[in-house]
Amino acid sequence: MAEEKKGADPKLIVAVQMTSIGVVLVILGTTVFVISLLSLLGLVQTSNPWTPYIAKCSIISNGAIILIGVAFALGGLIRHHEIAKNKKNEDNQAGS
Amino acid sequence: MPSDLVIIVIYLALMFIAGLFFSKNIKSTADYFLAARSAPWFWIMGAVWATNIGFLHGYLAHGGAAYEWGLIQANFEWFQGPFAYILTGLFFIAFYWRAGIYTVPQFLERRYGPAIRLIYSIAWIFIFLVTIAAELYLGGMFLKNITGLPFWGTVLVLTGVVGTYTLLGGLGAAIMMEFVQFVIMMVGTIPLVFILLNIVKGFDGLKDTLINQWNVSPQYFSVLPDIHHPYGPGPWVILALCFVVSIGWCAGHQSMVQRNLGARSLYDAKLGYVVASVPKTLGAFLYIIPMLAAPIIFAQRGIFVEKADAAYGKLILNLLPSGMLGLFIAGLVSAGLSSIGSVLNSTSTIVVKDIYERFLVKGKSDHHYFISGRVATFLIILASLLLVPVVTKVHLIMWLEQTILAMLLGPFTAILMLGIFWRRTNTPGSLIGFLTGGAFALLMVIKINVFFLIGWWSFVVTMVVTVIATLLTKPPKNEKVEGLTWESDFHAKVGFIAEARAANNGTHVTQMPDIKVALPPWYLNLKYWATVILLVQIALLLFFG
Repeated sequence: MAEEKKGADPKLIVAVQMTSIGVVLVILGTTVFVISLLSLLGLVQTSNPWTPYIAKCSIISNGAIILIGVAFALGGLIRHHEIAKNKKNEDNQAGS
Repeated sequence: MPSDLVIIVIYLALMFIAGLFFSKNIKSTADYFLAARSAPWFWIMGAVWATNIGFLHGYLAHGGAAYEWGLIQANFEWFQGPFAYILTGLFFIAFYWRAGIYTVPQFLERRYGPAIRLIYSIAWIFIFLVTIAAELYLGGMFLKNITGLPFWGTVLVLTGVVGTYTLLGGLGAAIMMEFVQFVIMMVGTIPLVFILLNIVKGFDGLKDTLINQWNVSPQYFSVLPDIHHPYGPGPWVILALCFVVSIGWCAGHQSMVQRNLGARSLYDAKLGYVVASVPKTLGAFLYIIPMLAAPIIFAQRGIFVEKADAAYGKLILNLLPSGMLGLFIAGLVSAGLSSIGSVLNSTSTIVVKDIYERFLVKGKSDHHYFISGRVATFLIILASLLLVPVVTKVHLIMWLEQTILAMLLGPFTAILMLGIFWRRTNTPGSLIGFLTGGAFALLMVIKINVFFLIGWWSFVVTMVVTVIATLLTKPPKNEKVEGLTWESDFHAKVGFIAEARAANNGTHVTQMPDIKVALPPWYLNLKYWATVILLVQIALLLFFG
């Protein structure tokens, strides 16, 4: 087997993944939330008996997606910050 | 509908951009094929589940089969999946992980030699091509029915998005998208079951309507099929599912195993696999239970369903309001994309690692194989697209895929189990057994074509033939099987314990070794998770059996 080239920092990979997942979920969740609200307002006028129940389900699930997204985005950013801090410390130590 | 299209377009664009953004971090073959061995257990959990659940396994094909045959389809979610996830996590993953391999065929070569690696690799490449083509077909049909766009247009859009992020970002990008899918599916699509059960007055109301008013057989609500069921009689289904097809799937399917090989530690790999059985069990509430209620909704609204595979799409299209519908479609598309992405990445790994690097072009630089991986991914996409017209001619796609899988997984599970648990198993024995089992499976396809029976009996035949052929030939050399069998693993552990005891007694070692074992917190204990999940399985079997 050929020798492996020096790869990426595993911690950085996880940080990038967390941030990306968070951003995707927040944008998607917010878009769906807004569109669902508009659509449900329209449904109220059509006297669909299931509208209140569907509205509740929609708000809960979209809210949860946005919250999870925010948590992941923040987690990713914190990890990025820690990696940058550690790198700076290592550079300082190497310099001194 | 136009607002739902906006959601789908935004979602696909986000996946595309995230994949491009992530790909900047990928520098070597280990990064590309194993995500730099960085994944924590919750990544593995989400990725394993999302790899398993796609258009084909899950919402569309399994949902369609549930619409046609009833609760028996939950066998996959309640017994096959959880049981095999736990067994694979506890017993098999460690061998792969410690061997430091990239692919399952690589492990087979270490244990049995290059011939079996080559056969197994070629078989999986074929299965993966059919799988990708089937996923693209189902996804294309689904989007066509929902949006009214042309079939090939939707297929090409799906291919473009998934191809780009997998081709550039490799396993890391695939895992990332799989986790997004995991969240959207688990949180975004679960309301459907509540909405549906509310409409049909709960599970009891559903049973009452279908059995008493529609004269549907009570068998429709049982997870164990009767003797006349196309799946085969109940006990065989459980046996074949839990002990052969499912273990073969979890321990032998490159996409499933590869996620675990990308874990940051062996414990993360094992825990991720075991905990993935929780979303797997919940999967039945996402696409099996809703499909049991679907006939009532269709009858109430006068909807005609021409093909079972299209039932799920029609259900959500006619039930959900705008916005929620868009999220659902985005969720389903993400399910399909992540499955296609994972299979695509695994196929390129096998093509490069097990065929190209092993047999065709040896000893090149890491960069050469890294680029080869991307070229292979591109070629696999093209080959799968060419297969799509062939797949469109199949009546029930799930049946085709399960049959092909059963033909390979029966013999594979037999030689894997023998290889790990019986040190005496040798190369000629396994090769003769594997080929005989494969030929027997082929014969069964022609004669009876029931995939559970094919999986089970090809497993039994392979076992028997391998044992006989092994006993008639020379045992393998000790150095060849060292570290690859349960026995050697057990000896290593016992040896470690003996050394530690000796150190404690002061008999052989003058200085106490500094042994620090970091125990996980109780809520991450593998055994607790495994026990709880197995108890839930027993409860489900008793309740729905």
